Amino acid sequence: MSEFINENPEILDDSQLPTRKNDANDLLLGISDSIANLERKNLLLKIDNSVESEVLQNIELLDKLLALQPVPLLVSDADENESTDMEDDLEESDPIDRQEIFDLIASISDPEHPLSLAQLAIVNLNNIEVIDSGKRDEIAHVIVRITPTITHCSLATLIGLGIRVRLERSLPSRFRIVIILTKGSHQSENQVNKQLNDKERVAAACENPQLLGVVSNMLSTCK
Amino acid sequence: MKLLRSFKLHNDKIWSIDYSSGLLATASSDLRIKILRIGDIGSDDIDEKNKENDDDDNRLLDELDDSAHKKTIRSVAWRPNSNILAAGSFDSTISIWSKEDYQEDEVAGNNFSMDLLAIIEGHENEVKSVAWSQDGYFLATCSRDKSVWIWEADEVGEEYECVSVLQEHSQDIKHVVWHPTQNVLASSSYDDTIRVWKEFDEDWECAAVLNGHEGTVWCSDFEHSSVEKNDSMRLCSGSDDAKVKVWKFDGVNEDSEDIWICESTLPPVHSGPVYSVCWNDDGLIASAGSDGVIAIYKEDETLKGKWNCIEKNEKSHTFFEINCIKWIKNNNDETLLLSASDDGHVNMWNVNKN
Repeated sequence: MSEFINENPEILDDSQLPTRKNDANDLLLGISDSIANLERKNLLLKIDNSVESEVLQNIELLDKLLALQPVPLLVSDADENESTDMEDDLEESDPIDRQEIFDLIASISDPEHPLSLAQLAIVNLNNIEVIDSGKRDEIAHVIVRITPTITHCSLATLIGLGIRVRLERSLPSRFRIVIILTKGSHQSENQVNKQLNDKERVAAACENPQLLGVVSNMLSTCK
Repeated sequence: MKLLRSFKLHNDKIWSIDYSSGLLATASSDLRIKILRIGDIGSDDIDEKNKENDDDDNRLLDELDDSAHKKTIRSVAWRPNSNILAAGSFDSTISIWSKEDYQEDEVAGNNFSMDLLAIIEGHENEVKSVAWSQDGYFLATCSRDKSVWIWEADEVGEEYECVSVLQEHSQDIKHVVWHPTQNVLASSSYDDTIRVWKEFDEDWECAAVLNGHEGTVWCSDFEHSSVEKNDSMRLCSGSDDAKVKVWKFDGVNEDSEDIWICESTLPPVHSGPVYSVCWNDDGLIASAGSDGVIAIYKEDETLKGKWNCIEKNEKSHTFFEINCIKWIKNNNDETLLLSASDDGHVNMWNVNKN
């Protein structure tokens, strides 16, 4: 097994990984499907401009709604699962939060181990930052800090490239993606950071068939 | 500044544009180079009707054979006083195209077409920028292989002899540009520096290293000074550190090396990498980059070296990044600004000089 750069990485069980379940945004994003939530969605669907509108009379709900411009699509989608529904919605609606970014990149495979980046804690929810007004004509920012399993990991650049490709393919073009190593996680931190965020180098890397092949393999486990 | 036209030309990023004698050339990730006739458009041409009747297809003169390059076309440059175009690609080659004896009125007959004259090989990997010297005699090219090559071209543009390979940058080189009147070259690099190169005894040597940016230098441009003296030479530069700087030639030291000093760092306008800077004949500097902002700076008339931002145009290509800007002169000798973006558009702007 000596061909591994890190032979014994720490592994997290899937059940330890963060999910949407505890997220307070669920209410309005309409992802979990409890009866209470469906009722709220139905309420939201009744929005109209008349004074009698139930929603307009409910200030608290209205405030929440205004925070979510433009108004999300509120289809009753009890049968649709989270991931497919999310990708479609990205084009039109809600501000994107860190859980969504995490969900997009968590299941990318490590180029060395048959494990996901989340299981190896290379990516985790707290190291993702999103600055998004939700307005479709404004630039938004995503910052992903990655932590390689060992500080001399020669695959750090490749992992970063995989994350970048995944996000560039999934997020609307208004997103600027920054991928950096968590402080102190790598010997050549600045060098790797510079390379990962050089638009021209990334574009050239994506035209390199070998590199693209490896990246495609890493992304093949994405849901 | 006012948007005069927006041309939708490519389905992918436009990395570079160049303009000469009314003709726009574009370089894109979609492997295509397009030639557009735009010299007739002027600042007074803001009539909505004109815009609507103005068909991009009518203006499109040619789309060059997309089998010439296998990867992204990164840079295009017209050879001065000719109809020759050079294009540098991530496939590590440079293609040379020509259209003989093109006259503007030929366009009506729609017989404009450019032919591939030569493919230049030599760089080990991605070519990132190509530039012709003002007399059209030299072609400079640079690459991720950390080298700048200077080629001597014959008159018809078919033969290229490499006269120098400059390997002093420690990282890949993003951009090369020639001085508008002298055979002086500036190269911008991922090593955060700019190098100035001059010809010495039939060879080319590094005359100065410009240190000061805290990130990749993406682009630089010389001042188009009316005074053709060495001691008034200045250069502006744009960097990944979001800054635009102006550098000034400040004489020669005892080792006969050129001294360049950073004369000014322009007022901070950008919130991300600055990919392109351009200096025009009226002394205005324009900068643009990842944040989609086009900024115009003007130097204080009494206090040289003090610059003010006189225009900040946000969302110039909605939320898309701008890769290249160029000041041009239209057929009526009017100065206009072009910008090229990831959205595949080239926008044409009229900029107020004050």
